[in-house]
Amino acid sequence: MSRRAAIVSRVLAAVAGGWLFAWGFVVLCLALGRRAGLSWADAQTLAWLLVFGVYVTTACWSFCAARAARVWLVLVGGGLLMTGAGWGLMAAPT
Amino acid sequence: MFASFRHSMTWLHTWAGLVLGYVLVVVFFFGTLSVFDREIDRWAIPQTRFAPQPMPSFDTMLRPVLERIRPEPADLAAARERAGGALPALTPVEWTAYTTHRDPVLLLYTEFALGKDPAEPDAVLYGHATIDPRDGRLLPGDPLKLGSEFFYPMHIGLHLTWHDVGYWIVGLSALAMLCALVSGVVIHRRLFREFFTFRPRKHVQRSTLDLHNLTGVAALPFHFFFALSGLTIFAGMYFPVSETLLKPQAQVAQAAEARARGLPARAAGVAAPLASVDAMVAEARRRWAARGMPGEVGMVQVEHVGDRDSVVAVYRAGSDRVALLGQAIHFEATTGRVLHEEPPATAVTGVNDFLTGLHLQQFHHWLLRWLYVAGGLAGCACIVTGFLFFVEKRKRQHARAGVGGARWADAMAVATVTGMLVATTAMLVANRLLPEALAGRNDWQQRAFWGAWLLAFVHAAWRSRPLRQAQPSPAWREQCIAVAALAWTAVALNAATTGDHLLRTLAQGYWPVAGVDLALLIAGACAAGVAARLRGRRRAPQLEGHHA
Repeated sequence: MSRRAAIVSRVLAAVAGGWLFAWGFVVLCLALGRRAGLSWADAQTLAWLLVFGVYVTTACWSFCAARAARVWLVLVGGGLLMTGAGWGLMAAPT
Repeated sequence: MFASFRHSMTWLHTWAGLVLGYVLVVVFFFGTLSVFDREIDRWAIPQTRFAPQPMPSFDTMLRPVLERIRPEPADLAAARERAGGALPALTPVEWTAYTTHRDPVLLLYTEFALGKDPAEPDAVLYGHATIDPRDGRLLPGDPLKLGSEFFYPMHIGLHLTWHDVGYWIVGLSALAMLCALVSGVVIHRRLFREFFTFRPRKHVQRSTLDLHNLTGVAALPFHFFFALSGLTIFAGMYFPVSETLLKPQAQVAQAAEARARGLPARAAGVAAPLASVDAMVAEARRRWAARGMPGEVGMVQVEHVGDRDSVVAVYRAGSDRVALLGQAIHFEATTGRVLHEEPPATAVTGVNDFLTGLHLQQFHHWLLRWLYVAGGLAGCACIVTGFLFFVEKRKRQHARAGVGGARWADAMAVATVTGMLVATTAMLVANRLLPEALAGRNDWQQRAFWGAWLLAFVHAAWRSRPLRQAQPSPAWREQCIAVAALAWTAVALNAATTGDHLLRTLAQGYWPVAGVDLALLIAGACAAGVAARLRGRRRAPQLEGHHA
């Protein structure tokens, strides 16, 4: 892969992949917060307070990780997994 | 892809900083202006130059105005187009009155429901009115509030309203800012020593980097918390889980929580009259005083207007604390009975309210307000010295290789940095020059802003040619002269058209206008000083060449 393509891939992973990962984090955090007995507003706010720390970390990691493939796998896979887990926890009767 | 961790962080810092820095410096600058948005409003709308007023009587003054508010004509036309002709009858569903300790005029909003489902975003229209709370009259001509309705929206969304794309760009820039801070700390390992290092007499590349580190590190906590809180304020827009994926669960949970608080989640659909809101406001103030925190009313909101299940919420102004608004007391609108008194915030909400309040700073503390300006300007200086360093480091090499990189980075920097100052000061001049009776006066002021900025872009590109020989662009100096001339002209025009010259405003202690005038004079002096120094540098290019 050329250097230009490699950079485009990393930038896309950092922004879009990172967003998906962060989205999954919000869903899972909200679901866990609800399980822990927080109100909807509090669980959601807690997720919002934490999510940008996660996003910044994944964005920086997207550039320093050794392999771009691993970045994509972790961000997209992790994002989908957390979204699914959070949705499952939420949909299940409490 | 990179040889080491530090290499990757250097790359990220350089390129995220350069590409999104152009947006970021605009966000920082207009954020800095927004600290004094209400004061800029006073400067721009002379008929509102009087003392801030407390919330007036709802029953006798606000309600008649709220009942007369109609949706914004443009939104109404768009809704008509979507509906393909006639619209159903518009019913107001929410009334809001909002003021702060810096507002002489009062803003009123009405939200209208179009269809059956108020949760549909397209089914809602908004209308607003600005009144003089001393007599309840509408502000004639609905003049544009330059500070709070133009510079502030520029700060949060760049006026790119199509699909909220401006908010997303600003959000991405804030994220890049956080990444730049993290990577910047990694790159500059000798952070503590660099903090105490400034060598203004060394060559340009060295002194810009010193200043970049100094402003970046000195205001690091400020930059960090403002980028972070800016993002959390709009988190609901960037991660709308409760409106999309989890909407059914959110609605069930929120309805249950509203029931637990004794508040109706939705309108009953049965018409009923509104009791005296003034009595509810008096009761809210009595309850705040009983809790040991007497205060003014910041916001009054009537939900489900005219319905049997209508609720009036009275919020306390947060002038004496960081958190913005709060301690709301909710009343049954038909009887004035207290339904719910908000308990002290939970830990999570408390932290969030603090962060939001810290960013939006509606509290009463003038010294802190000026420190915000200092922090914002330090942020601008940090980003701009970053641009300059980028160009200084590469310009000779690029000139030798015949590459345009440094040239266009420099031209973009001129166009954004001095360009936005030209645009801002040109807008203030237009505000004072355009006749009061001119039709579309608000639009013409905005055209002056964008037109001046566009000119600055063209000028910066046109004058960037010397970079090809690694020489400085004369555009920096020429636009600085334009800024100085426009800033001083704005002060002179304010004196000439309103009579509120500095001698008078200072003697009267009328700081909103005196402060804007003084800031313009100082900004003009700084721009003129920079222009003079750049002129000196232009004369001695050979000398610098010997050192290099």
